[in-house]
Amino acid sequence: MKKTLAFAAVALAVLAAASVPTASAEAVVGQAAPAFTLTDSHGKSHSLAGLAGKVVVLEWWNPECPFVGKHYTSGNMQKLQKEWTAKGVVWLTVSSSAPGKQGFVDGAKADALMKEKGGASTAVLLDHDGKAGKAYGAKTTPHMFVIDAKGRVVYAGGIDDRPSTDVADVATAKNHVSAALAEVLAGRPVSVASSAPYGCGVKYAD
Amino acid sequence: MSPVRSVLASILAFLGATGALAQPARHVKASLLAEADAVVPGQPLTVGIRLEMDEGWHTYWRNPGDSGLPTRARWELPGGFSAGEIRWPYPMRFRTGPLVSYGYEGDVLLPVEIRVPASIGAPEVRIAARVDWLECQEACLPGRADLSLTLPVRATAAAGPHAALFAEARRRLPAKDPGWQVTAQPAPPALRLLVRAPRGAALREAWFYPAAPRVLDHAKPQPLLREGATHRLDLPLDPNGAAPDRLAGVLVVETASGTLALDVDAPLSRGPALPPKKQETKP
Repeated sequence: MKKTLAFAAVALAVLAAASVPTASAEAVVGQAAPAFTLTDSHGKSHSLAGLAGKVVVLEWWNPECPFVGKHYTSGNMQKLQKEWTAKGVVWLTVSSSAPGKQGFVDGAKADALMKEKGGASTAVLLDHDGKAGKAYGAKTTPHMFVIDAKGRVVYAGGIDDRPSTDVADVATAKNHVSAALAEVLAGRPVSVASSAPYGCGVKYAD
Repeated sequence: MSPVRSVLASILAFLGATGALAQPARHVKASLLAEADAVVPGQPLTVGIRLEMDEGWHTYWRNPGDSGLPTRARWELPGGFSAGEIRWPYPMRFRTGPLVSYGYEGDVLLPVEIRVPASIGAPEVRIAARVDWLECQEACLPGRADLSLTLPVRATAAAGPHAALFAEARRRLPAKDPGWQVTAQPAPPALRLLVRAPRGAALREAWFYPAAPRVLDHAKPQPLLREGATHRLDLPLDPNGAAPDRLAGVLVVETASGTLALDVDAPLSRGPALPPKKQETKP
């Protein structure tokens, strides 16, 4: 009975929503990346427009999510950050956890956590109102986007092909972000331009 | 930190993490059950992974939707035995902010068929599985359990003590129903599902759950419209998805006679979805 009522309530909400056309702002492979301006953990502003000419990685992050934990505990994420920023890529770690939600961080907390883990991204951007996350259609932590020097989305999806929380899977996974970056920097088209993102849901405000 | 200490720290962190992942789950109780009370040589045996979830917690369907992970099993079986895939009862939707995921709450039994060899050289059989799942309320925790059951080998079997749970799980399994005509057409940026119910029955509600990720946008509405004897359900595509040539999944419909879960695997036809009605055919 409870389930039937819940089903009915959802269906009604869906019908109500259906009459209002919703513009879907989402990062779509091959199209211009959605614009954003966000403040980093040190209070510095970063906008996508200001990064024209650079290859940019966006990494959605929630330090308390076990999927994120898999990639930081194994050292995988930090290794990628070090490797690609050394090659001139701008790597932006984005926190869209809303205040009061799991993984919410202020600048000081973000810095402390990244220092503890040896994080090496260019900056940690604070997206407390979830505006940038929703503009990109960021669904999970991690959810990864690669933007080329012309500002186009060239990769959107999971960090690799092993959806799990198992640290042991990192060693045998095919890393989609590394593959996409290698191709972009070599001036080649990205062969796997999207995959299913996997992880915890981004903890947006309700 | 010196390189040696750094390596040691990484190893310790790694051990700590795997240790944490191997801990029993806190909000889901997992068990392995058999439908029958014995194993009969040469006859398939249905077992089930039962997940009993605390109030407010859920686990995931084969396609978890916007986030999450499907429950998985790795089987440990005697020689000659083999396990089929999990058969998934139809799921429900969980909305969190702008995201929608697919899964189960309360109590679910995931049936699995075990193939049994024609001859068994032992008086009893042990069936074991390592089951991994993700349990989420708002936050998520990985769950794992090593489950097993032992059954006697006999010439005939009767219903086991959990047969009623299996009957309930079977009622929730999506089924093909020749009385329902379901076709799919591309209609960018959506897929259009055309549904004709038997005897012109009206659909009160309908939701299509795609079997795989990267086909539909899970969070968008699926508007249901009636066009004569046909119902139309518009399914918004995932803008970063792979262009599908078939639409596979489960259509859950509500009619006056209750809830029905239809197993759908429709090619994406580009022609007319349904044969023209007789009265429209001019001589």
